[in-house]
Amino acid sequence: MTDKHDMSEVDEKLVNVTIDGKAITAPGSLSAIQALWHAGYPRIKSVGCLEGVCGSCRVLVRREGNSEVKTQLGCQTLIEEGMQVMFLVFPRPTHHTYKLENINSSWEVQTKFHKIFPEASHCRECGGCNASCPKGIDVMRGVALADKGRFREAGELFVECVMCDLCLTACPELIAPNHVGLFSRRVTAYFHTRPSNLIRRLEGLQRGKFQIAEE
Amino acid sequence: MTGIPYSEALANYQSSAKRDLPESDIATDELLRAFHPDYREGSLVPLQVGPNQGDKCHRELASLLQADARIDEADLAGATIVETDVLVIGGGGAGCAAALMAEQAGARVIMATKLRLGDSNTVMAEGGIQASIEKGDTPQMHLDDTLKAGHHRGDRKLVSQMVMDAPDVIRWLIQQGMQFDLDKFGDLMTRRAGGTSADRVVYYRDYTGLEMMRALRESVRNSKIDVWDYSPVVELMSSESGHCAGAVISNLKDCSYVLIEARSVILATGGIGRMHLNGFPTSNHFGATGDGLVLAYRLGAQLRDLDSFQYHPTGLAYPQHLAGTLITEGVRSAGAHLLNGMGERFVDELKTRDHVSAAILKECAEGRGVRVDENTAGVWLDTPGVERKNPGILEERLPKLVELGKKCGINPAEMPLLVYPTLHYQNGGVVIDEDGQSTVPGLYCVGEVSGGIHGRNRIMGNALLEIISFGRQAGIKAAEMSHGRGHKKVTIGHLSKLRRELAVAGMPMDVKGPMLFPECAKFEKDADYEGFRRKK
Repeated sequence: MTDKHDMSEVDEKLVNVTIDGKAITAPGSLSAIQALWHAGYPRIKSVGCLEGVCGSCRVLVRREGNSEVKTQLGCQTLIEEGMQVMFLVFPRPTHHTYKLENINSSWEVQTKFHKIFPEASHCRECGGCNASCPKGIDVMRGVALADKGRFREAGELFVECVMCDLCLTACPELIAPNHVGLFSRRVTAYFHTRPSNLIRRLEGLQRGKFQIAEE
Repeated sequence: MTGIPYSEALANYQSSAKRDLPESDIATDELLRAFHPDYREGSLVPLQVGPNQGDKCHRELASLLQADARIDEADLAGATIVETDVLVIGGGGAGCAAALMAEQAGARVIMATKLRLGDSNTVMAEGGIQASIEKGDTPQMHLDDTLKAGHHRGDRKLVSQMVMDAPDVIRWLIQQGMQFDLDKFGDLMTRRAGGTSADRVVYYRDYTGLEMMRALRESVRNSKIDVWDYSPVVELMSSESGHCAGAVISNLKDCSYVLIEARSVILATGGIGRMHLNGFPTSNHFGATGDGLVLAYRLGAQLRDLDSFQYHPTGLAYPQHLAGTLITEGVRSAGAHLLNGMGERFVDELKTRDHVSAAILKECAEGRGVRVDENTAGVWLDTPGVERKNPGILEERLPKLVELGKKCGINPAEMPLLVYPTLHYQNGGVVIDEDGQSTVPGLYCVGEVSGGIHGRNRIMGNALLEIISFGRQAGIKAAEMSHGRGHKKVTIGHLSKLRRELAVAGMPMDVKGPMLFPECAKFEKDADYEGFRRKK
């Protein structure tokens, strides 16, 4: 551990990368976005929280000596010698729409789900969603669980999901897996989160039990 | 930076067995005056023009509040004009709550956001949201804690309304499909914020903001709200009667200006972290450049507490590229101690944020911090101590912290993290009433851009509460105004008055506001927003 922190000199070593086709030389301690700025390119698009939770900065990454192309978040990708980075455009928004209020009871959730997300049953288990996920979520399993009506369990898999839409881009069946995950999470809260401590307090407030003293 | 070298401090940390809190001999006021960045010499200047003329304001913010506009009348020749009932500016939690309520009330709503829907500080919020729901806690105690932590500078009326609304805010969020951490009986779990008297913060892991934003974004996406992304507002517009009546949008996609005329405008632009006041790192989003303050001030809105900012005690100090990244107060709430380079505690970790931050700055200034290099020092956040007391808690309740550890090459269950205060929140802002309306009729301001709730120091969980509570209220009120008749003669006429005042006061006209994007991005008006063309 200590060694890691004494590496500040090493971190400052310049590395050569290609970002969106531009040859850039920048310190190795920078992320792909920071490197672009460092080189004088005023990028705004696809920049967000810079902390890996907003899902804006979707990039394709290829490392030197490796033909595999990975999808990652640009703010979380530290540049390396010979790395190639390409910013991805955002896909068209998913065509799936729904309103929670239009699901009348929890008995209807599964039927509604299949109406809203008919493609979820067509999953061909290609694994593209899992491979594309920068958070390492088992997206494919989440879709399968939701398809079986196991929404609570499915939603649990998407705790770290930042809605970057990379799985949506990757899915050949247009399932929009991240929205399936979010639907699963939302119906779980909407129909099953009924905390007695909150409800008791709301009742007390309604009965005028709690007042704020005048100053 | 002076201090105890990293490896020596680490040895001290490992060998140090005693973790008792030493008696403190320094009062909060004295500590703040000596070490809190708000009191730093030369950082405040009196404003020379505008509604707050004569008030003290942070130097860097003052230069933007008194900056020239980015546009003038000639730029708007031939610009498209679009009409709507309610214009919401900003796509974070406050903007979404306001837009959803306005739409539900039947108004036509356009939401203009500088980046994308949901790109905001909300999505990064970790600790949780306050609502007095536990037995033995009351809205009154919530009010008392909020006012006390704000050094009795908060607006009692606003805080009263917010604390009474808090439980209903949580109910509303659950109805939007937001999850919370529940105990085995399905009750909401709570944790305690620093400087408060009860366990009152409800949360979802340390991803509370992410979970909130996911649900709200999906609600907005499935509504009739017309979302304009990459559409920063560069100027507000007003009618001949002085009502705020729309805004000028700079469309980044085709470098054109669009005028949106609206019956009412809701400003929900967030905070100022990316101004890096006093040279501090920030925990804030890329878009947090204080645009709303500048826009509202120019139109004549009164601001308040422009000299008061929150530096969150536990920003990551190292490594460099992650400096300023937030570590939630939930970690201290779970029992983590702060330790100096000698491995000793030096402050009650659950005091208010201003107090704890000042105490950290004191340790570092007086040579007891942990020194990494010329520019970097900090103190330990003893995460292994929490894990020892409560095995498994980091993975289970603080997954974002564990992820952050991975990025630093540190397992927080085994190694302490080095922390240093990070610019986190703007305590003051636009003066509002209980409906979120500013002193300019028709201009509503909600969330961090508004002021008055937190006084001079905010407690954990009150920001997420404020954005939803006042966002909803302003959305309803703004929609009501859409039933009236439209505004007449909607212009940017206020700019000629501004320029005259700036000239009279001898202000430099080369500074342009609002800032829109942080300096690091090197954005300028004619720059390609995809950044493919290099700046000359």
